[in-house]
Amino acid sequence: MLAVTVALFAAVGLVPVLRLADAALRPAGVFDAAPFLAEIATRRAALALRHSLETCLLGGFGALVIGGLVALAAALTDVRAVRPIAFLYVLSMLMAPQVTALAFLTATGPSSPLLNSLGLAPAPGSANPLTGPAGIIALLALHHSPLVFILLRTGLASIPGDVIEAARISGARPTRIARTIVLPLMRPYLAAAAALAFVACVGNFGIPALLGISVNYLTLPTLIYVEISSGGPAVLADMAALSVVMAVMTLAGLAVAGLVAPGRATRIAPGAGLGRPFRLGSWRLPVEAALWLLVAIVFVLPVASLVTTALVPAYGVALTSTTLTLDNFVEVLARQKVTVRALVNSGLYAGLAAALLALAAIPAAHVLERRGGRLKAIAETLIELPYALPGIVLAVATILLFLKPLPLVGVSLYATPAIIVVAYLIRFATVALKAPAAAMAQLPTDIEEAARIAGAGYARRLWTIVAPLIAPAAVAGALAVFLTAFNELTVSALLWSAGTETLGVVMFNLEDGGYATLAAAVAVVSIGVIAVAMIGLDLCASRLPRRVVPWR
Amino acid sequence: MLDRRAVLALLFLIAASLPAEAAGGKLVVYTSQPNTDAQQTVDAFKAKHPDVDISFVRDGTPRVLAKLRAEIAAGQPQADVLLIADSVTMEGLKKEGLLLPYKTEATAPYPAGTHDPDGAWFGTKLITTGIVYNTKAPMKPASWSDLLKPEAKGQVQIPTPVTSGAAMIHTVTLTANLPAGWGYYKDLKANGAVATGANGDVLRAVSGGEKLYGFIVDFMPIREKAKGAPIEFVFPAEGVSAVTEPVAILKSSKNPEAAKAFVDFLLSAEGQALTAKQGYVPALPSAPLPAGYPARSAIKVMPFDPAKALAEEAANKKKFQDIFAE
Repeated sequence: MLAVTVALFAAVGLVPVLRLADAALRPAGVFDAAPFLAEIATRRAALALRHSLETCLLGGFGALVIGGLVALAAALTDVRAVRPIAFLYVLSMLMAPQVTALAFLTATGPSSPLLNSLGLAPAPGSANPLTGPAGIIALLALHHSPLVFILLRTGLASIPGDVIEAARISGARPTRIARTIVLPLMRPYLAAAAALAFVACVGNFGIPALLGISVNYLTLPTLIYVEISSGGPAVLADMAALSVVMAVMTLAGLAVAGLVAPGRATRIAPGAGLGRPFRLGSWRLPVEAALWLLVAIVFVLPVASLVTTALVPAYGVALTSTTLTLDNFVEVLARQKVTVRALVNSGLYAGLAAALLALAAIPAAHVLERRGGRLKAIAETLIELPYALPGIVLAVATILLFLKPLPLVGVSLYATPAIIVVAYLIRFATVALKAPAAAMAQLPTDIEEAARIAGAGYARRLWTIVAPLIAPAAVAGALAVFLTAFNELTVSALLWSAGTETLGVVMFNLEDGGYATLAAAVAVVSIGVIAVAMIGLDLCASRLPRRVVPWR
Repeated sequence: MLDRRAVLALLFLIAASLPAEAAGGKLVVYTSQPNTDAQQTVDAFKAKHPDVDISFVRDGTPRVLAKLRAEIAAGQPQADVLLIADSVTMEGLKKEGLLLPYKTEATAPYPAGTHDPDGAWFGTKLITTGIVYNTKAPMKPASWSDLLKPEAKGQVQIPTPVTSGAAMIHTVTLTANLPAGWGYYKDLKANGAVATGANGDVLRAVSGGEKLYGFIVDFMPIREKAKGAPIEFVFPAEGVSAVTEPVAILKSSKNPEAAKAFVDFLLSAEGQALTAKQGYVPALPSAPLPAGYPARSAIKVMPFDPAKALAEEAANKKKFQDIFAE
């Protein structure tokens, strides 16, 4: 079982990377490291590496701080209306990064309806204040902070309330409780959140693409994109070399995160949750105001910007009672069949990937935690690799791997929906595994041992004891996969074909074809669909395992 | 006795398992036409040929080609018909023997040169590239050289040949016809012009006022201006470059009959009328121009050598990159 799991992990994480490394180091079929070294030594590559490092370290750190503070306030204090705040906050993460970036650009540019009505809009022709490294860092931090929030809140909710209660009765102050109880228990979650935020930033393409390419501030993924689109398959070797650099950079980030996490997590019995023990008193109102301001920035501002763009006949037209039109929505929903098809496709592919990964994550988390030993860290790092690669590079690796018909069955996955689902499985495996692995790390072994003594076999112990206990974490992981995959663009951009368009592809195509207003309408519809799905989940939350719904 | 529903289900299964050709067959179009136009074209064809199950894939010309080449490498090209920006790309595909020659009566009303003499590809419209400006701009450009003036410093955005087929032809035409040649692009760069994305990106930047001037294909700003966007399109004094958005049938097509019907439809008077209705200059000389364009005779297209463009494609891309990359 262990061997199978580790082999599977290695296959998922390592095979695409090895295929790329092969393309990088053996460009003509024989080993030749000279072009590889020449490529990574170029000034452009070195500069892009520096840009990636600075934006991702600062952006990831920003996400950790913002998401961490929100999680603390939501999980431990008595702020009101946590559910709507968390709902909108999580929803903001579900918007595709390129859509968010575009919405922010519109909202802060010379034609911004908001700034124009305040008389604060930049003069026509002036550069957008968000372009460049500062804007990229700010948007990376804001966009990825809900991911940190979900993870840390799951962790905080798993801290047993009686421990804190005992500390309070013994007279410990909140700061001391935080330092001596909460922080140590949260350390694996913090390390996981920091690692995930960093690798998510490294792999992010949409934000640096929209805010950086036009001012020639290139990060590794955008440099790779520019290289591919200029050179096509001919630059595959150079591009693979840059991807290997990215993979190394991610490994370094993960290693640092690994040093922070303790070797062995504290095991705590599943019990009553934490409750929300801290009263904020006179600080409650300012904290609530800060939370709502954050929601306004990450959700209301971009959505308002998208809606105003979607309601005018042409981009650049001011929204007034005479220019207001619903024509863009009619066009994308009624006239162009592709939008509805793309909605269904994206829901299907993302849903399938999420469900399969959640099912696989339970035994995987169990095997790794109980029997993994030193292999655990290696396996987790391997599975992180495809997530750290830029989507477009993973897509190329997937094409290289699955272009030829599969052995035994003789069917090629290319140009079928399967290749997109497989790419999603490879890319998002780490997202699905993070939460169950963290939950598993804290699950005591005594219940399983009792069951073993009572004669329960391995499968029975796994599915009747372990699975129910870590199911909430697995479902939270699946949800994170679904939400990330539903709007993704960079993987499917190269893998789609007639009839298998994804939502990201349709939006990008409309944008590319000059239909900014139609693209905005699709974006609004996609946010609406996700919001409806989330409300649906919210309504049946009482029938789901506890802590499955991340905003409750 | 058999249940009636079971019989119906059985009949349905038999119907579904019949060969696709019997129903007119599947037809996949790979196109660089913007989504709305591609959908309209496909819908109009479907109205004439309801038995053909037609679908389309839309992306910029270079990306459509990248996709097609990956599929050819995999041994299963999905497209039956290509409807992409420029004839240079088509010439390249023809040389590689990937296109199916088709002699059709539909070319009769067209002058020579709008289609390949061997019937490998057929021009469907005329898309010129000129200058777009935001109506708030202080200077109204009338010639390509106006974009080198101090008023345009840091205010120009142009599409790159790596994402747009029309931009590739435009670069080749402009460098061959302007006296400064590639020097013009160097001067543009020195005046702070940025080259990024495709024509749609230029449209967004200039409509939104983030940039004031840009190179762009004609139909986008003319169409958007009619809807109220604060932009204006200019046919510069020196002339414009043009692509013909040719259509071609792939040799690997599994449904050449439907593909031929699609080509004939695009070239027919009806297909050309649709082209004009969408806001393009039709390739058919007798078809009237859409609103917003000057008379056909007033549009001065600069000469262009397709064979040379094909031979120097990679070198031209590199020259462009070298100027604008850093």
